Amino acid sequence: MMRARGWLAALPMLTLLAAGFAAPIAIVAVTSLMPPRTFSLTGALALSNYLAAFTEGYWRPLMWSALGALATTAICLVLAWPTANALMRLGGRVATLVAILIALPIFISESVRLFGLSLFLMPGGGILAGTLNELFGIRIGSILNTRLAALIGLVYIHFPFVLFPLMLGLGLVPRDQVEAARDLGASGWQLFREIEAPLAAPGAAIGAMLCFVLALGANAEAAILGGRAVTVATQAIEQRFSYAQDWPQGAALTMLLVLITALVVIPLLRRVDLDRLIGR
Amino acid sequence: MTAGQDGRAFLVLDGLTRRFSGRPAVDGVSLSIPEGEFFTIVGPSGSGKSTLIRMLAGLERPDAGRILLRGADITAMPANRRPTCMVFQSLALFSHRSVGENIAFALKMRGVDAATRRARALELMELVRLPADYLDRPVTQCSGGERQRVALARALASDPEILFFDEPLSAIDYRLRKILEMEMKDLHARTGKTFLYITHSLEEAMVMSDRIAIMRAGRIVQIGPPREIYARPNSRFVAEFMGEVNVFAVRGGRIEGLDRPAAAQSGFLILRPEALRPLGPADHADVSFPARIETGYLLGSRSQLHLSALGRRLVAELPGAAAAELRPGQEGRWGFDLADAVVTPE
Ligand SMILES: Nc1ncnc2c1ncn2[C@@H]1O[C@H](COP(=O)(O)OP(=O)(O)O)[C@@H](O)[C@H]1O
Ligand SMILES: [Mg+2]
Repeated sequence: MMRARGWLAALPMLTLLAAGFAAPIAIVAVTSLMPPRTFSLTGALALSNYLAAFTEGYWRPLMWSALGALATTAICLVLAWPTANALMRLGGRVATLVAILIALPIFISESVRLFGLSLFLMPGGGILAGTLNELFGIRIGSILNTRLAALIGLVYIHFPFVLFPLMLGLGLVPRDQVEAARDLGASGWQLFREIEAPLAAPGAAIGAMLCFVLALGANAEAAILGGRAVTVATQAIEQRFSYAQDWPQGAALTMLLVLITALVVIPLLRRVDLDRLIGR
Repeated sequence: MTAGQDGRAFLVLDGLTRRFSGRPAVDGVSLSIPEGEFFTIVGPSGSGKSTLIRMLAGLERPDAGRILLRGADITAMPANRRPTCMVFQSLALFSHRSVGENIAFALKMRGVDAATRRARALELMELVRLPADYLDRPVTQCSGGERQRVALARALASDPEILFFDEPLSAIDYRLRKILEMEMKDLHARTGKTFLYITHSLEEAMVMSDRIAIMRAGRIVQIGPPREIYARPNSRFVAEFMGEVNVFAVRGGRIEGLDRPAAAQSGFLILRPEALRPLGPADHADVSFPARIETGYLLGSRSQLHLSALGRRLVAELPGAAAAELRPGQEGRWGFDLADAVVTPE
């Protein structure tokens, strides 16, 4: 009886998930097994698109996306840890203000922010190069349209998604355990490794997952800041679907991207104690 | 005695002060503790005990004053370098680590190898009477008393020069607390280390300590061996902290309510409940008066009686047998000897 009611209560959510999540994935999965350049879902199933993904060079955009997402996550974690620690230690109004300043840009369109960054980095009359030239007579080149610029864009956009879960995680580290570790002779690094990192791990993992998944699917950074220097997975997929009119190939690449996401997210989720993070 | 000049001085606090937004939590505390002593600081909640001990452990920075250990100034030494160790009020066990990992933490920080750490953890577990098969158990699965022992062993593992305790037994039920108090004293004797213990319970301090300091509003108001603190409190505060007492004001050299001369011009006459006794027709006491028993409680082997006498209430405590025939409502003569009372200046 109770069980039946539970299912009944879950029905709206289940319907939504089935229609909005499971069904599209299933359709994409089937499409990815269709013969190349066809538009039906009833052809003979084949793995040729997946083979083509590796033989025809599509692995490059996948690799760039995966590497970019990994690097972004790692850099964001390294930058966010001391920031989160400082904000937690600072506490009070100043910390709230800084947190708001970091969070606010999320409400502005990503492209707008990236174009802003692009103006900043532009050579010659760009904000950075122009100012340096005008004030100090220093002439610099520009990293615009390089992989580095795309990576900086990725870090810039995704930093808050790591910072805030991490702050939540660090909030879980009991103050007295930190003090006890200090008292027992832990140096700053040992404190991090033995106490803070393991106890704040749920927050760090959530932040890292958010960052990785978002960065894996990102393309504006590469398009706006990276110029032609790099093609990312989503860009390749879009090309397959639109210009190339090769839906099965696009679907196969999509499935590979989903696979990479799953390979990263599922093991992490299994290890992280989410209940602890929400205080259960 | 000046700080550092006493040959026995092992830990010396010299004018230690800590303020929080202008208000002093610890206010110019000076103490000298010889090596191997079990020294206890007792004070009510908020008197600054934790702040004081946290400064000694290096977890709180003093605003003024110095800390000397074996004559060396350690005031500015960071907590992780101090050869001291603390057992926290919350115990602060590492919740994500096993019993053995908790105990051997300090050794791991020093780069001691895993096998040696394990062996040392087992040794310490034996010392604090923890079964060896607890080694790999998560601390979260330990009972209150077991966690207590883990915390003790963990503090001992680094072989500190001095151990600090911040009310480690306050959250433990009475029976177990009594056992752990005795074990703590025993451990002190066996390790020969200097213990600086903090508690709000004078009873606990009495049982374990070589010397006791009473703390009030950030200052030390009396220091001495337990017997002396008990027998000769130097203020009404200390006397009342010890438990229920009868207090008579002394003004103009006379004890108010008794109309007798006092040994001091002003202050208080403190009379412990056990100094009051019922007087038979032939008994004599320095001070005697008619009294009526209002209520009586049995406190195990003793009885506590509330008396109506001299126009006020008095508390008396008698051995159980002596109180056997006394009933509420009975009237009779009660009294005490002045030698059993103490006059304090404040
Ligand atoms: N971190 C702090 N910030 C502000 N006030 C504090 C802080 N720590 C302690 N205090 C204040 O200092 C006084 C002494 O506190 P504490 O040392 O914890 O006393 P005890 O341990 O004797 O109960 C209290 O009034 C307390 O409110
Ligand atoms: Mg305290």
